Amino acid sequence: MILKINNISHSYDVEVLHRLNFSLEKYKSLAIIGQSGSGKSTLIRLMSGLEVPTSGNILINNLSVSNEFHRKRVGFVFQNHNLFPHLTLKRNITLVLEKTRRKSKKEAEKIALKHLHLLHLDDQVNKLPKNVSGGQAQRASIARALSVEPEIIFLDEPTSSLDPILTHEVLTAIEELKDIGKEFVFVTHVLSFVRDFADYVVFMHEGKILEHGEPYILDNPKTDELKEFMRKVH
Amino acid sequence: MNSTLTSKLKDYFAYSLAILTVLFFILYIVQRQSSDFSFEVFADYQFLVVQGIRNTILVSVISLFGSMIIGFLFYLLQKSKVRYFNALIDVFTEIIYGTPLLVLIIVMAFLIGPAFNTYRRNLMGVLALIVYMSPYMKNVFKSAFSSISEEQYMAMDLFGFTSFQRYRYIIIPQVIRILMPPMMNNFSLIIKGSALLNVLSYNEIFFAIKIAQSRTFAFVEGYILMWILYLIITIPLSQLTKFVERKWSL
Repeated sequence: MILKINNISHSYDVEVLHRLNFSLEKYKSLAIIGQSGSGKSTLIRLMSGLEVPTSGNILINNLSVSNEFHRKRVGFVFQNHNLFPHLTLKRNITLVLEKTRRKSKKEAEKIALKHLHLLHLDDQVNKLPKNVSGGQAQRASIARALSVEPEIIFLDEPTSSLDPILTHEVLTAIEELKDIGKEFVFVTHVLSFVRDFADYVVFMHEGKILEHGEPYILDNPKTDELKEFMRKVH
Repeated sequence: MNSTLTSKLKDYFAYSLAILTVLFFILYIVQRQSSDFSFEVFADYQFLVVQGIRNTILVSVISLFGSMIIGFLFYLLQKSKVRYFNALIDVFTEIIYGTPLLVLIIVMAFLIGPAFNTYRRNLMGVLALIVYMSPYMKNVFKSAFSSISEEQYMAMDLFGFTSFQRYRYIIIPQVIRILMPPMMNNFSLIIKGSALLNVLSYNEIFFAIKIAQSRTFAFVEGYILMWILYLIITIPLSQLTKFVERKWSL
């Protein structure tokens, strides 16, 4: 992934990111960590194109994220599964494929089943989101994100609404995806997952990137903020 | 499995007991009356009463759909960016909330109707019912639409659904499911409210029985009959609502 963040500022009521600059090459799996309110969710939303920055721009693999083609190449997994609640797990995927990716019914079904299988949901395909566990729903939402054949998959705290057992279940499922040839950007509080899955880590604090590097930076924090963060999360 | 069976049995037992309690209470009240009840006198007015039932259902259905349409319009106006529309709906809602239905029916039929050269009182009565229910319907739409989360809209955005596709496949199917139970509750309110149309001499259940009462002098019996007739309509409706609620909840 070639990432260039140029002078990004973003505000809701208050300014969350202020003139952020950052660039990165060659890494395939990027973790963004930091305390709540550090701006990490904002950053991942801006990178995915879900939100448009107040000023500045972001390039991923030499394409601006405001370009309409960017949307076609990303998959996004939300904090809670965010499946359409009136549709079965399978229909959640086939609807997207049929209506927005112009797949035939048959093709869509094939792709949906393939991805649900990849996430170990073969027995749940015809159930509604309310009738499966939180972990299963989150895995289905990962399957949905994968089914549109994205280049980059964004995961915004995918396990924050799950208990430890379901968290483990979902993270294991994500780890199995490491070699499917996609790039990943994710926000999480689970440091063991960062160590196992990320190639590169960015630590944010109060809207700034304070430290970044390969996951070993977690073992030798330089700034007091990361030290404190590591102490709190452990 | 076993525990759900026991809990179902317990439910069954509890409800049977509750119904028996009510029946016992009614029986006691009836027994305490000094005069004998006779419902036979209403046999002669069968036609009138059946017509009343038909008319009650007819005006209720018309009012239901009418107030759904106006209520939806109100919802759109309240959501509009034009402040005047928002204010108009707020003021209107306040007034309706504070107005007894009976007063609204009279005002519609005897003041507003004539002001627009309309002397068709029954029509104005039904309109009153529609207007009265509209703010409630507006709220039903409001809560149904607001139950679709911001993040669902984000997901629709991200996948690139067109506006039509969003409504057709995602928003409306959900909204209808959420809408149905409160809509049916409102229907029940309309049915009961339609009894007040008797003041305009519209031949619905209440009026039909009132006529029969005045000719047979069987006042108490008349009210009991009326009560039973309304319950026959409203209880299955509320049971159906509960069923839909269970079946369709998201």
